[in-house]
Amino acid sequence: MSTLRHNTVDRLDRPSAYYQGKNKRRKYSQDDTEKAEEPVDHLKNATTLYVGNLSFYTTEEQIHELFAKCGEIKRLVMGLDRYNKTPCGFCFVEYYTHQDALDCLKYIGGTKLDERIIRTDLDPGFEEGRQYGRGKSGGQVRDEYREEYDPGRGGYGRAYADDQRRREEEEYGKGR
Amino acid sequence: MADYERRPHGPRGGRKRRYREDDDYDRRQRRRYEEPLIVKVRRQLLTIAESAARRAEDDAVSIAKSVADNYGDEEFRNSFVDIALDLVLEQPLKIPFIAAAVLIANFQKPELVSDVLNRSSECLQKYVDVGAWREVKLLLRFLGCLQCIFEGDGIFPVLEELFARAVDLQTASSEDLLGLELVKIILFTIPYVMASPAAGFESQATALLEKTDIIASTPHALVDLVNPFGPEDGKPTATQSVISLVQNQLQGESGQGWALVCLPRPWKGALEALNAQRTEEMQETQEAQEEGMDAAESTEAAEPKTYENGPKHPFPQITVPSPVKNGTRAIFPEVYLSVYANQDIETVPSTSDIASSLLRDALVDTINILDFNRIATAKFLIDVDCYFTPHTFVKRATPFDRLRDLPGDTQWKPEDVAVDAVFSQLFQLPSPEHKLVYYHSVLTECCKIAPAAIAPSLGRAIRFLYRSLETMDLDLSHRFLDWFAHHLSNFGFTWKWSEWIEDLELPLVHPRMAFITGALDKEIRLSFAQRIRGTLPDPYQDLITEGKEKDTPDFKYSSDTTPYANEGREIMQLVRKKAGDEEIQPVINAIEEQASSLGVEDPLLPSTDAFVTAICFVGSKSLSHVLSCIERNKERLLAIGPQSPRARRQIITSVMEYWVDQPGVGINIIDKLLNYTILTPLSVIEWALVDKLDAGNVLAKSHIFEMISATVGKVTNRLRQIVAARTQQGLYEPQLSVLDETLNREKVDMQALFKVIEDSIVSVAGGSNDELMERGDGSGNLPEDEIIRQWGQRWLRVFRRKAGVEESFIADAMATATPVGTVAPPASEENVVSEDAPVDGEMDIAEADASVDIS
Repeated sequence: MSTLRHNTVDRLDRPSAYYQGKNKRRKYSQDDTEKAEEPVDHLKNATTLYVGNLSFYTTEEQIHELFAKCGEIKRLVMGLDRYNKTPCGFCFVEYYTHQDALDCLKYIGGTKLDERIIRTDLDPGFEEGRQYGRGKSGGQVRDEYREEYDPGRGGYGRAYADDQRRREEEEYGKGR
Repeated sequence: MADYERRPHGPRGGRKRRYREDDDYDRRQRRRYEEPLIVKVRRQLLTIAESAARRAEDDAVSIAKSVADNYGDEEFRNSFVDIALDLVLEQPLKIPFIAAAVLIANFQKPELVSDVLNRSSECLQKYVDVGAWREVKLLLRFLGCLQCIFEGDGIFPVLEELFARAVDLQTASSEDLLGLELVKIILFTIPYVMASPAAGFESQATALLEKTDIIASTPHALVDLVNPFGPEDGKPTATQSVISLVQNQLQGESGQGWALVCLPRPWKGALEALNAQRTEEMQETQEAQEEGMDAAESTEAAEPKTYENGPKHPFPQITVPSPVKNGTRAIFPEVYLSVYANQDIETVPSTSDIASSLLRDALVDTINILDFNRIATAKFLIDVDCYFTPHTFVKRATPFDRLRDLPGDTQWKPEDVAVDAVFSQLFQLPSPEHKLVYYHSVLTECCKIAPAAIAPSLGRAIRFLYRSLETMDLDLSHRFLDWFAHHLSNFGFTWKWSEWIEDLELPLVHPRMAFITGALDKEIRLSFAQRIRGTLPDPYQDLITEGKEKDTPDFKYSSDTTPYANEGREIMQLVRKKAGDEEIQPVINAIEEQASSLGVEDPLLPSTDAFVTAICFVGSKSLSHVLSCIERNKERLLAIGPQSPRARRQIITSVMEYWVDQPGVGINIIDKLLNYTILTPLSVIEWALVDKLDAGNVLAKSHIFEMISATVGKVTNRLRQIVAARTQQGLYEPQLSVLDETLNREKVDMQALFKVIEDSIVSVAGGSNDELMERGDGSGNLPEDEIIRQWGQRWLRVFRRKAGVEESFIADAMATATPVGTVAPPASEENVVSEDAPVDGEMDIAEADASVDIS
């Protein structure tokens, strides 16, 4: 472990821009800017990781096989479609120690599982309800509007696909 | 940096929005029109030598000038000192280049160099005191490069003092390792001193080498323990430790005028650049004079600068405590491993060349220090040729076949040297500094950055390791297998399987066949059977059985020919509908009565089998499913073991038989059952190495090794936690006695566990196992018999080492522990006991997550 106060290259075991971004939005909405550092403290002893960009078909066993390389897994919660209760491409992995979670960010985040580059982010901890997608149609928000085809994540984005279908139907009607 | 490859590019995806937010972050900085000098110098220093397109020597001169000119600016001055030392400690490849900048600055602003030395000395003293020996080595290397600016003997007195401590330690104990570490530091400092601009230290270096010889060249008892290759035919191979190797290499160098060809000498070019600059300036001054302008300094500037004549400084005062202590990293002897040894072309330096040790040492430190950014590590490895004398290596990505046709003496491939260094850590015994997966990830990144250069090097490494499987330490062949499968999973599972087709004829227990089957199983675990089948040539297809492609293995009680079929199905239905104990018990009774009437010795076995198999089947959908099944039936499962140890082992049989085609799932469930204490570690060992030993055949199965290693690891980890609790500071009675008792009790259990492993394998290794002797013609001379004996020897070696390492860990930790009976000082009433000490807590168990139970 590096003992320096400053590192000469970036560390991969920091909370992501996403987490910091959420924090920033909060900061801007409040008058008090001093609270900016506080959310980072939530992660001080975090043992949970949010894992994203999984294929809908990736199983718990596969996730386990890869993530156990960083330490024993305490709990694995699959992210599910709010309506269908089928995997929707993310999960929470909880380790026994904070160090294991950090190591996972450093060594596994950004590598491939099931032939997809996965994303890991330190998470303050799983709470009931967070296992469900928050998109309009039940999955993750990012899968609503995605314009490119991703066979591992249900094809086109759902809202995008609906939109597309409607447009095609209209066009078809015009042709007549 | 942490944001690399975060999302696929999308015109309206999350990416675009995030871009904008990221911009907000440093918008203020971006508005700047021109970069301030301090920012430029910082970057110049941080990236020194990184690019082959820039001359590091020129950067050194320019940095030195900027900092010297701005010496009055405190921020400027401090940031130079800070970054220089941070780089020394974090990016050791750059040490000679940082030193060059400091040497040049010494001509312009000796005060700045005093600041650097003061800070170095503070750091060095701190690391010497806590026993952080790698940091000490790097700081001494830095100071060694600066030898020419010191008064008198410079660095040598402190090296002599370290040597004196090493002698003390060695005299006190023949098993001492810390003394060897000190000698290693001395040996790895000398070459940098001798390559530095300092002249006239040959006799001192040679004298020091003569002294270290006796310690460095004496073989240490533990060297064989960390040898990556086991003894062949029972004879121990003569292995040289890293320090005895370096000792020999240095003696060779001292006989050849300390050529040390590979070490870079950026100070030479930097000094030339400085003098050239000064001549230029002087000429300009002269021209100005001719034009009638006044220039008083011209005579002073005429002399070209030399390092001998530069300002001198006293060497920092360092106190080496006696005795020295060791920090947090455990020390073991090291052995030099190369996966490119014995090639017909020397693509990496041979061990007769000191470059082998110098390159390896600098790369290994880089790898281990920068574990927090594997991408940066990979970048340094790919750029290795920037940090050593130009033309030490052939051009990057030169194909192996092309090396023979190259003019010039050297055929070292930078990729091979880099990859070799990573493998040396991946295959470090007893264990490397970081988790194995870190080294996997470094190799993955290297491959991503420079696929055309790295992939062929990895290919040759894989072939070497594959050919060595029969003699390689079993722990290492398992690490090889695990890395291989994980690596392929990152690159579309492509491997030239066709080249091993011949080996498919080998017996199943042959190490190569065991590797192939084990690797395919691991690949499937990371992916799925059908996918892996698609990557294999025809002759391999039979290895992916139909059972492996089934998501839900069959429930054996579905077939009426299975004994107790009706009851088995009934139990399964009850488990599925989450029935209570009172509903299950009658069916269990029915099986046991039936078994008794059939004369079954232990009726608990068939009832346990039906119950556990039902749980596996009902929970087959996923790990969460089986865990919630286990959770619901925990009481009944917990009650089995205490009634009959054989029934407890039946639980393992039932799980492993149900998941026979996907053993990875099986061992995962076993692992959780251990956490629930439904199984005991001893039961797992006995199940595999007594019940299922199968005349030693079981030893060839990689998942069995994995299962036993994991189980033993659980026990030793727990013991280490107890040791940590027992040895924490400020602990007094009565807690001391309680913890001491726990420690002793569990230590006895651990020893018993190792004894069971030893006893059952020793008979296989020695060929005296009854079953083994009764096979075939009874002579024990079948070719497979010999293979199995070797498996036994390899298993023994691994677990004897593990037992030894754990014993010595406990002994070392307890050596400084507060003795039992120590009472809290009367002054303070309250005892301070750390609350997070994991003392008596059961190993935490994974909670089955009901929320995923969606069936």
